[in-house]
Amino acid sequence: MSAVPMARVTLRNLAAHKIRLVLTAVAVILGVAFVAGTLVFTDTMNRKFDDLFDRIGENVAVDVRASRVVDSGDEGAPRPPLPQSVLALVRSVPGVKDPVGSVDGYAALVGRNGKVVGAGQNGPPQLGTNWSDDGVARLVSGRAPAAAGEVVVDRASAKKAGYAVGDQVTVLVKAGPRRATLVGTADIGDMMGATIVAFDTPTAQSLLLRPGYFSEIRMGSTGPDEATLRDRVARVLPSGTEAVTGAKLRDENKSAVASFMGFFRTFLLVFALISIFVGAFIIFNTFSMLVAQRTRELALLRAIGAARSQVTRAVIGEAVAVGFVGSTLGLGAGVGLAALLQSTTGGGGGLTFTATPVLWSYTVGIVVTVVSAYFPARRAAKVPPVAAMRDDVAMPQRSMRIRLAAGSLLTLVGAALITLGLFGHVSNAVVPVGVGAFAVFLGVALLAPVISRPVVRVLGWPFARLLRTPGRLARQNALRNPRRTAATASALMIGLALITAVNVLGSSMRSSVEAQVDKQFGADYVVEPTGAGGLAPELVARVKATGGVKDAGAMYSGSAKISGKRVRYTSGDTAEMLSGTRARLVSGSGALGRDGMLVDEATARKDSLSVGSAVPLLFPDGRTETLHVRGVYAKNQFLGGRVVAQGAYLAHTPDPAVDVIIVTADRADAATKAAIERTLSARPDVKVQDQSALKADARKQVDGFVTFLTILLIMSVVIAAVGVVNTLALSVIERTREIGLLRAIGISRRQLRRMIRAESVVIAVFGALLGIGIGVAFGAALQHALRDKGLSELSVPVGTLAGYLVVAAVIGVLAALWPAWRAGRMDVLKAISTE
Amino acid sequence: MTDSARSTSDAAPAPGAEEDFAARARRVSKVYGSGDARVIALDGVTVGIPRGRFTAVMGPSGSGKSTLMHCMAGLDAVTEGEVFIGDTELTALRDKQLTRLRRDKIGFVFQAFNLVPTLTALENITLPMDIAGRRPDPEWLDRVVDTVGLRSRLGHRPAELSGGQQQRVACARALASRPEIIFADEPTGNLDSRSGAEVLAFLRDSVREMGQTIVMVTHDPSAAAYADQVLFLTDGQIVDTMAQPTAERVLERMKGFELPGVTAR
Repeated sequence: MSAVPMARVTLRNLAAHKIRLVLTAVAVILGVAFVAGTLVFTDTMNRKFDDLFDRIGENVAVDVRASRVVDSGDEGAPRPPLPQSVLALVRSVPGVKDPVGSVDGYAALVGRNGKVVGAGQNGPPQLGTNWSDDGVARLVSGRAPAAAGEVVVDRASAKKAGYAVGDQVTVLVKAGPRRATLVGTADIGDMMGATIVAFDTPTAQSLLLRPGYFSEIRMGSTGPDEATLRDRVARVLPSGTEAVTGAKLRDENKSAVASFMGFFRTFLLVFALISIFVGAFIIFNTFSMLVAQRTRELALLRAIGAARSQVTRAVIGEAVAVGFVGSTLGLGAGVGLAALLQSTTGGGGGLTFTATPVLWSYTVGIVVTVVSAYFPARRAAKVPPVAAMRDDVAMPQRSMRIRLAAGSLLTLVGAALITLGLFGHVSNAVVPVGVGAFAVFLGVALLAPVISRPVVRVLGWPFARLLRTPGRLARQNALRNPRRTAATASALMIGLALITAVNVLGSSMRSSVEAQVDKQFGADYVVEPTGAGGLAPELVARVKATGGVKDAGAMYSGSAKISGKRVRYTSGDTAEMLSGTRARLVSGSGALGRDGMLVDEATARKDSLSVGSAVPLLFPDGRTETLHVRGVYAKNQFLGGRVVAQGAYLAHTPDPAVDVIIVTADRADAATKAAIERTLSARPDVKVQDQSALKADARKQVDGFVTFLTILLIMSVVIAAVGVVNTLALSVIERTREIGLLRAIGISRRQLRRMIRAESVVIAVFGALLGIGIGVAFGAALQHALRDKGLSELSVPVGTLAGYLVVAAVIGVLAALWPAWRAGRMDVLKAISTE
Repeated sequence: MTDSARSTSDAAPAPGAEEDFAARARRVSKVYGSGDARVIALDGVTVGIPRGRFTAVMGPSGSGKSTLMHCMAGLDAVTEGEVFIGDTELTALRDKQLTRLRRDKIGFVFQAFNLVPTLTALENITLPMDIAGRRPDPEWLDRVVDTVGLRSRLGHRPAELSGGQQQRVACARALASRPEIIFADEPTGNLDSRSGAEVLAFLRDSVREMGQTIVMVTHDPSAAAYADQVLFLTDGQIVDTMAQPTAERVLERMKGFELPGVTAR
């Protein structure tokens, strides 16, 4: 027998069973759509950022800026400012064309509704700058700002805020609100939601930076290439400044974004991978059932001379076809998904297509389908030719004992890998934990048939009691083929295990943060900025002067180098900080004076410090000062590892920005809070929080995180639900005669539908129970691993998890709708005479 | 007993005639397809199935005997005519009522695949009553089980029973709910002759001893010999009846159908 007739068998099979094909393909489509969507979306975002940076740096040949003494490690952190005098030095260098000093800082636009435009914790930035005619920004109406009290805003933000040229607008800068006249709007291209407020240069300097200083100086070239010009410019620069080529500047910007987008892409792909893993279970199950149903046909092929390998190939061929169709549709769906994401992120413009998503979609779709179908195909080849002649062929069943051994081994290896990753001080813990989780899932899936017998019996009990015969039949059907029940349930297990783990982590985070706030938050209020700007130190005095306020102190954070290593510290009003965070001094005192510092116990141990030790700190301004340890405090989440005397910090920080103002009140009541809020009424970008608001804030953040991850994991649950539909639909086809018999002897359509529904619910709830069990174990393990990193409390959200069980039952009911409808519609006469 | 089935295609018995019928068909026609593909499976059949008797329906393949049974059992809708089970007219019933009728008044024994594989023999026997939410009469159940002779195998699943035993369980299921009538479609078709004889003897005994009404479709003259009377079907019409059949007489009669010129085909 050549390959051609086998291929014909394959194709005819596909054509004859379109529903089957579609059901199998759905699992592929959803997984591939996730992969393709992620790739196309991140490609598009990457290109948009690239375009943006190319546009901004278009005419820049050389960029001059202050060098970083202490690498802040945070790409967004500003460099120290550059004195204006550098501009004159640079201008005299031959080959330099149109050098422009630019000023960048925080400036937020307050809309007509009194709210900050585009505000949000992790939203797009609110940028302030000086207006320059360097061709990047193009005025679309009005004129450029020429004096204090005049601003130009990017067109999109002006529209969002509801302003037109000539309007009086409020702009928030670090020092507070400023009124200004909107003299023009500009088109700066697609800024992806960022707001831009442009001032004339002197105003920008005084509001955003420091009078007489620039953030950087950019220049074009009259002829010499970028490297040559850079070297020439570098020769005239004072120490503490550096020159880089325009190419390097653009690359720096791009690589910062690219590394973030790369992380984002990997992150999404992990979830896509999970969906595909779940899909693999569905494909495996479907093909197993198809092979079982086609036993006679396959035996006939073997009887008339098809080799085992040909039978295998016929099944694999079917898998390739399903994979191909699924990948094609998945790719299409993925592009749609990317377009949807793109529109929700507020960006315009088209999508970017490269060959990568196409290549990956087909590779992933086809490889996963073929690999998942491989074992069923091998089984198909084992059908003995004599099966064609016999009526009831039992496929050789492999012993459960091998399964039991393999499943236990895999589960144990997985658990060991997770333990190693979490507690074994490995450099990259993600890999062993991820691989371990996959191993545990596979292991439990292998064990699931064994577990299913007792569990399904118990789960089916209420149905047997309530629905009587249909319920009993449903339970028996779920028990009839434990492998099938288990594979279907396992698919659901994976998604729910991960969702459960996320929920356990989230719930633990909430309780841990709340416990921390309870334990370490001693202040009555904190005043915090909502934007990126920080607060001007003058604000502290105004808060302090508010009626009902007993004391208010600033808290800053900064970085420095200690023996060559970058460290972060906090600083500010030490007395307020210590009482506000309920810090407990282990030794020494909290009186720091001008040159004191405090360390926590862990830092003291690590750096061998004690009261009296001298520590030289290299500050970002390039100067080194030796500070003396005055006290050691117990671990404190708010203070971090080191506290530096306010005097020392301010001496080395030209433009200090307050992180948080810690407030103690005479009476912590609503009136005091309202009074503080009145003091800050002009600052919609600042919020006053008491203990419960802090907790609510933390809760909201955790909830957001849990919701986000849950949404990403829902895809895998959807795929698993499709798997339940698949299993039931194929079971209904497989049991056509049995269903016909039941109908003939008097079971009603409704009873039949109930029977199928009950079976579906039992399978789904079984999967959910497995998943929730594993998920709680994963979550608890993660919490345990992170208990020193602030995740001190383990909290299992029992209510939520019970809710997921209900959701699983509902999924079971929904998944059974169509198969049950089909079964009920079956013609009794045809059913009992079906071969 | 020659008068127990006055059944020809042209002389219809008046409804509610003096005889006691468990099921009746009146001028029943069944047509499949249309145009060139039009097949007349039943052509105006009128027949009464006497209560408490064992009736066999015979005929060459394609004669319409299975169709007649399916129509009379409410498994298939007739194209024309009326079907009664007891006093209930089937053609007027909707699916739900038909289902209930099948459940409560009719028993089935099929040629193969009679049992639900996940249920034990006993569970299969009581299945129709379980579905209906009725309790089986324990005495009756006992008697049925004893008659079937499977007491020791009641806890077994179908896969653990021989073909003959499975068929006997199917018969027991049909009997257990005391239906008005049992339809058996080639019940011995898949069995060896010894098992077949057991099943047939069991069906005959259930008629003689329990007063059950049974209609059996078969093409095997020796199976038909167990019946009280035989209806012969050809080309969708009842062409003859035979009381107190023996295998020889039935075979003789059947041979007549297969002579060219006697059958229409």
